[in-house]
Amino acid sequence: MRASAIQSVFLHGAPRPQDQSKRVLVLGGDSTGLLVAERLADAGFPVLLLGHPGDIQVRDKVTLAADTVLEEIQGFSGAFDVVIRNSSGRSVERVGFVVAAQPGEAVPKFEEYRLARSCRTVSLSELENTLLSGGQTPARRGEWFHAAFLLGLSGESEPVVFSRVLSVIERLRQMENVQSYVFTRNLKVAADGLERRFRECRESGTLFFKFDDAGPVFETSAEGTVMIFKDPLLGLDVELTPDLLVVDEHVNPAVSLKPLLDATPLSLLSSPFLQPESTRFSGVETPRAGIFAVGPARGMFDPATIGVDAESVAAALEASLRKVPDGTLPGPPAIDPSKCTMCLTCLRLCPHGAVTFGKTAEVDPVSCVGCGICAVECPMAAISLAPPSGEPDIDSRIREGLAAASGSRKIVAFVCSRSADQALAAVGTGISENLIPVVVRCAGTIGVPHILSAFGHGADAVMAAGCFRGNCASGYGTVLAEERISQVQEMLGDMGIDPDLVRFVPAAGNTPGALSNAVRAMEERIEGRSPKT
Amino acid sequence: METDAVIIGGGIAGIQCATQLAKLDLQSVIVEKAPFLGGHVAHLACKATDRCRRCGACALEDVLRRMVSSGSVKPFVRTTVERVDERSGGFALTLARRPARIFPDRCGQCGECERVCPADGAIVRAPGGNEIFIDEDKCLFFKDGSCKACMEACPDLAINLEERPDTLSLNASAMIVATGFEPFDAETKPRFGYGLVPGVVTALEMDSMLRNDTWSPDNGEGAIQSVAFIQCVGSRDAGMGRNYCSRVCCGYAVRMARLMKYRFPTVRPTMFYMDIQSFERAFDKSLHEASQEVRLIRSIPAEIRKGEDGRPELIYHGPEDQRVKESFDLVILSIGISPASFDRFPGLGLTSDGFTGLDGEEVTTLKKGVFTAGCVQGPKSIGETLSHAIAAAGRAASYVRDTESGGSQ
Repeated sequence: MRASAIQSVFLHGAPRPQDQSKRVLVLGGDSTGLLVAERLADAGFPVLLLGHPGDIQVRDKVTLAADTVLEEIQGFSGAFDVVIRNSSGRSVERVGFVVAAQPGEAVPKFEEYRLARSCRTVSLSELENTLLSGGQTPARRGEWFHAAFLLGLSGESEPVVFSRVLSVIERLRQMENVQSYVFTRNLKVAADGLERRFRECRESGTLFFKFDDAGPVFETSAEGTVMIFKDPLLGLDVELTPDLLVVDEHVNPAVSLKPLLDATPLSLLSSPFLQPESTRFSGVETPRAGIFAVGPARGMFDPATIGVDAESVAAALEASLRKVPDGTLPGPPAIDPSKCTMCLTCLRLCPHGAVTFGKTAEVDPVSCVGCGICAVECPMAAISLAPPSGEPDIDSRIREGLAAASGSRKIVAFVCSRSADQALAAVGTGISENLIPVVVRCAGTIGVPHILSAFGHGADAVMAAGCFRGNCASGYGTVLAEERISQVQEMLGDMGIDPDLVRFVPAAGNTPGALSNAVRAMEERIEGRSPKT
Repeated sequence: METDAVIIGGGIAGIQCATQLAKLDLQSVIVEKAPFLGGHVAHLACKATDRCRRCGACALEDVLRRMVSSGSVKPFVRTTVERVDERSGGFALTLARRPARIFPDRCGQCGECERVCPADGAIVRAPGGNEIFIDEDKCLFFKDGSCKACMEACPDLAINLEERPDTLSLNASAMIVATGFEPFDAETKPRFGYGLVPGVVTALEMDSMLRNDTWSPDNGEGAIQSVAFIQCVGSRDAGMGRNYCSRVCCGYAVRMARLMKYRFPTVRPTMFYMDIQSFERAFDKSLHEASQEVRLIRSIPAEIRKGEDGRPELIYHGPEDQRVKESFDLVILSIGISPASFDRFPGLGLTSDGFTGLDGEEVTTLKKGVFTAGCVQGPKSIGETLSHAIAAAGRAASYVRDTESGGSQ
């Protein structure tokens, strides 16, 4: 997957162009894409809209590229070059931003239920289309028309799917003598108004059966599919031969997200969604600057909430146009071309897709968040990250901190600015006079040399305090930091020094106790008071 | 005082709104009645076990930092809105600000005030524990002037009960209501025994104890092992007029159960539920993981009473269609969310579930220029609240630009 991206940066890799584009590429396909496109056009952004047929009406400022797909994406926020393709060939367009707003892909669960599609066994989407187009439902066999819906008996369901089932049942009720049944496990009602609609549906005669096991067994008879089950409430054995059996669907993010997943290493890990499974990305922003995910692309399948997403993208775009660098972040990394061997380690490891290659590796300052992972991981030590303006670098801070320390013991703690530093602010550095905090942008910025330097300048113990696994805003900064800590532990062990004098401490802004407990434990460790592990 | 937008409520929704407005180059004022910002989230424990469990509560510290560093947000704590008048081009607000009762720069945090205070809960420590406040609703001095024990006892002369509140006027072009939620009052559902049966607590109380490390399974009378979580307390309850799912409780109960088990391996959690709501995408895997650690029973107990051994006894309909009596060491009620409406400015509209705004409208209200952010508009997780607040700020910003440039909408 990455190979093609790497290949293409060699082919057309170029430094960041000066001209910043306000144009937005919206990947659409249904009402969500249109809504986002129109909201952005209202906010003054010209929009290039993909994924729709050519016969839809779009307003001013929205250009429709009909029946066109995105193939590849190059460049950075403000200046992406996107390769798009339609029946007449490929073209390259310059856009400033990209919004993934494709509809989700419905995959019916026929196989999971071991059911074969037939005129009486259909997927939810098929039935919706039949009803919408005024088509005929299958003929009834008796006086009553029995419609059975399978919902989340295999694989958990989603509120949006339940909402669709309710709409279909409401619609069927307009026919005469219809009895609907819903077979489910966990009814998903966690959306606005859904519990109310569920109750109304039940009160108007629909029967709901909730199972803790797999639910009905399906058998084929001359009459059609027979459902055999024990009524979970009454305990009675029931056989039902529905006139119509409706199978629910998984809703997955669109396959057409792939070029965007390819463009961001962190998103690759979270495929098929564009954002990693992390609270750091709970909105429309992805790990890569300038690329946004709306609705299904980020796992929100409910069309009723898309307005919030569209508004969030508009706000994020406006904010990014107004953003001025305030010097509070380290970097961006400077790469020494005389040392760079083009090994591509930084390109592969940058969680934010901020690295590109021209004659040498280059880093886009807008996409870079200053985590420092590239600088530590570069095997040639060719990358250096300037500290935030006015601040000394990490090594000087270690030395100065140790020189100024007043405690009888010296514990250097590298503290992640995005988690542990906030925990420290809550308890105050006064928790121990032995503590010498060195704030770093991300735990991933801590290298073995930093840890050894702390020992070299007189530290009795070293801690790296960063985010919990799965919470790192740069994805794997925590994992890398833990790895380096264990490397140093091994080195210390080999030298006959207590390896537990180096420790990784997971912390969050709301776990002040985690940090103060770790400092206390380390103090005891130095004193040799706590048992060896 | 003039500002672009006034935000009523300094919880995570209000703070996120203000931060986003700052990014859009607009000034805002936050009005918060409590002595500190953060609202409910400030009391929630991190649910990480050996890894992050994605509760989102740590986002508060992040958002607060960004708000402070933006420099364009004025937060007023200990402040309430007395009245709101609609003016052409905006709103005129009268605010009442209570003075700081304990000066943080003088307070040495010796705890003497806590020792001498006769009123339960009148002296409170901020989340994190390094600042002390007086809750004027509980303090006897503000009730009838009868007690100044803390002021007299304070060795640092840091306490000031007598100063009067001051009044502020504020003009704002737009208003964002971010007053959040009230936790469901479990006492109004006496069959679950809250306040009647020892060993029955709310999840919010438990969360706060876990955050402050003040809970331990060893309560002196033998270790707590069996813990029952009761879902849907005050949610999906048509009989109480609460015909909606509170959306966050399944997530917080499962996370809390796993956290308790992780911290205290002797704890054996059981969860009584109607339907487990998804709280993460691709939920199958999470639910499977949870079911390895938490015993799941699809039944809401009919009654919780004090058993013969003094422990809470649950009576529920068991899976074999039988009546089951089972005692637990601790019962945690997963209480739902009620809207905390902004009653100083009525006429914003009500959704059919009783939240502020209009059905099908995400952030707008019946009043032009007034927007909603967060749980006041409907139950939301922390992540959903953050997104919603960004959207509210975006709408408010467009509105402010239109009105301030003299255009009409």
